[in-house]
Amino acid sequence: MAAVTLTNVVKRFGGFEVVHGANIDIADGEFVVFVGPSGCGKSTLLRMVAGLEDISGGKIAIGGKLVNDVEPADRGIAMVFQSYALYPHMTVEQNLSFGLRMNGNPKADTERRVKRAAEILRIDELMQRRPRQLSGGQRQRVAIGRAIVREPQVFLFDEPLSNLDAELRVQMRVEISRLHKELGVTMIYVTHDQTEAMTLADRIVVLKAGNVEQIGAPLDLYDDPANRFVAGFIGSPKMNFLSAKVVEISNSAAIVELVNHGGARLRKPLCEASPAVGAEVVLGVRPEHFFEAGEGDCDIPVKADVAEHLGSVSYVYANAGPEELIVEREASRQRASGDHFAVSIKAERALLFDKTGARIR
Amino acid sequence: MRTQNATAYRFLTPYLLIFAIFWVWPIISSFLISFQATRTVPWRFAPTFNWGRLIGDPAFYNALKNTLLILVIQVPVMISLAIVMAVLLNSPLLKARGLYRFAFFAPVVVGEVAYSAVFRLMFSLDFGIINKLLNSVGLPKVDWFSNVTPAMALIMIAVTWRWAGYNAIIILAGLQSIPDDVYEAATLDRVSRVKQFFHITLPLLKPVIVFCAVLSIIGTMQLFTEPFLITERGGPGGGTETLGLLLYRQGFRSLNFGYASAVAYTMAGLAIAITLVQLWLTREPK
Repeated sequence: MAAVTLTNVVKRFGGFEVVHGANIDIADGEFVVFVGPSGCGKSTLLRMVAGLEDISGGKIAIGGKLVNDVEPADRGIAMVFQSYALYPHMTVEQNLSFGLRMNGNPKADTERRVKRAAEILRIDELMQRRPRQLSGGQRQRVAIGRAIVREPQVFLFDEPLSNLDAELRVQMRVEISRLHKELGVTMIYVTHDQTEAMTLADRIVVLKAGNVEQIGAPLDLYDDPANRFVAGFIGSPKMNFLSAKVVEISNSAAIVELVNHGGARLRKPLCEASPAVGAEVVLGVRPEHFFEAGEGDCDIPVKADVAEHLGSVSYVYANAGPEELIVEREASRQRASGDHFAVSIKAERALLFDKTGARIR
Repeated sequence: MRTQNATAYRFLTPYLLIFAIFWVWPIISSFLISFQATRTVPWRFAPTFNWGRLIGDPAFYNALKNTLLILVIQVPVMISLAIVMAVLLNSPLLKARGLYRFAFFAPVVVGEVAYSAVFRLMFSLDFGIINKLLNSVGLPKVDWFSNVTPAMALIMIAVTWRWAGYNAIIILAGLQSIPDDVYEAATLDRVSRVKQFFHITLPLLKPVIVFCAVLSIIGTMQLFTEPFLITERGGPGGGTETLGLLLYRQGFRSLNFGYASAVAYTMAGLAIAITLVQLWLTREPK
């Protein structure tokens, strides 16, 4: 087991910088998920930790030891690839033992490690099969097994579930979580799926265009996002953003007017910043934080465009002036396309962002 | 459905007719000719005449020996060389990759007569650059055209020069289909580049290598141009005569079509047999 520390890590491809000075501290035994949209640099960051990409600047330490110039095989890590990267011509058993055999590891120890990995992942019966004879989930287990036999200090996962169907993804998610508890080792997991991030992580690192936007526990990011990007990225369906304008500052609160909703006003208490009167701001409201008309501090009329009833929950995709809103309410079960109704916003459940996307607290 | 099929066959009829007349019938006809004595007029049916002669003909065994010798030496050397060339072409360190690919492939598009003439010049006893190079490093001149062993070597060098690049390009396509992350996984497993080549690259290239080998075997069994043009009709003294050349000599010099047909079917049978044995030896485990 080992802690992983990234200090001002920079990656350039030619003259193009894709990671701009990432600072991340990962504690021993922690499960950290790097999440962000395509091209945000999350896989590049992971590959730099693995040693598969050179580091253009900064430092990476594993277990307190600087590894910038250490060969991938000597970093004490094991990696599970998106495409599984199994050796197609070898059986499952040969896939698991290949690295150990090639390095002259004693036969008895190799057999012990392979047996243990097979037991942990329940793939004992697949040992003589080849990858092409396995399902996606079984291949993924073998890929994880290959990482386990290395007995690494740190596990790296590069979007390991993205090739699986929805049901299998949920199943494997649970298995990876169980594996982390069982092995207790540090795990770094890359995904673009915020649901995977929320369900697996001890802490999430949200990345955007090569910058670390926020690091925190899943619910901290959900409840208290640092900026509009994190607020929009974490949570499904995503947060609604309503254009607003500060019309008055009084008693540590900003009175904001929702510019597309007939002058509806909301008093939002602030504890830190004090925006200027007249400043353009954005009000963020999660779909489940809309209330019945009259229950909150500010009502806005909407027209249902599409209603999705999933059983346990209903989503109404509504038009409110030029803005589209997603409303998630138990009461929405009765809504149908074309319905006119009003939703209410509670100030304590709404977040305020400035024009640049930074949070106004 | 039946009406649809009938319409389809009506559209296919012109092609099928041409295919039957110019492809299927010559194959059947040449097979039937191999059972006829064709040096008498009119030809007469003599089932054992050509096939019996084939079994006891020293010229046939000489041509068979030469063809098989080229096959067992040249094909493995050429395929090995093609693998090395493909690996070099696939190297990320290589600059001007497109130029090299073109250069390796170019011999195939050069006219056979032109390339044979150039090889005759290059290997000429007194004026050839090869003998000059040998001399310059203190080695004696080699008379490539008058002695059997050098002449056979010359045929093998020429065929290898012409086809190694072609095979390298096919193998390169196979190399490029191996995903990078398989090698990355091996790198993380501390598997050296050399071990990666022997334990990952070669096994994964096996289907492509088998394909190239089968093509080369079929090509070598039909080898004609090089012994005809470079070593002057299988010279010296039949030392480089191949089955293809024997067929030509019998069919188009002696006009003994029956015997030439028997030789042709023997060549085809041998190519099929060798290919089947090779496919069986290199079959994928279940």
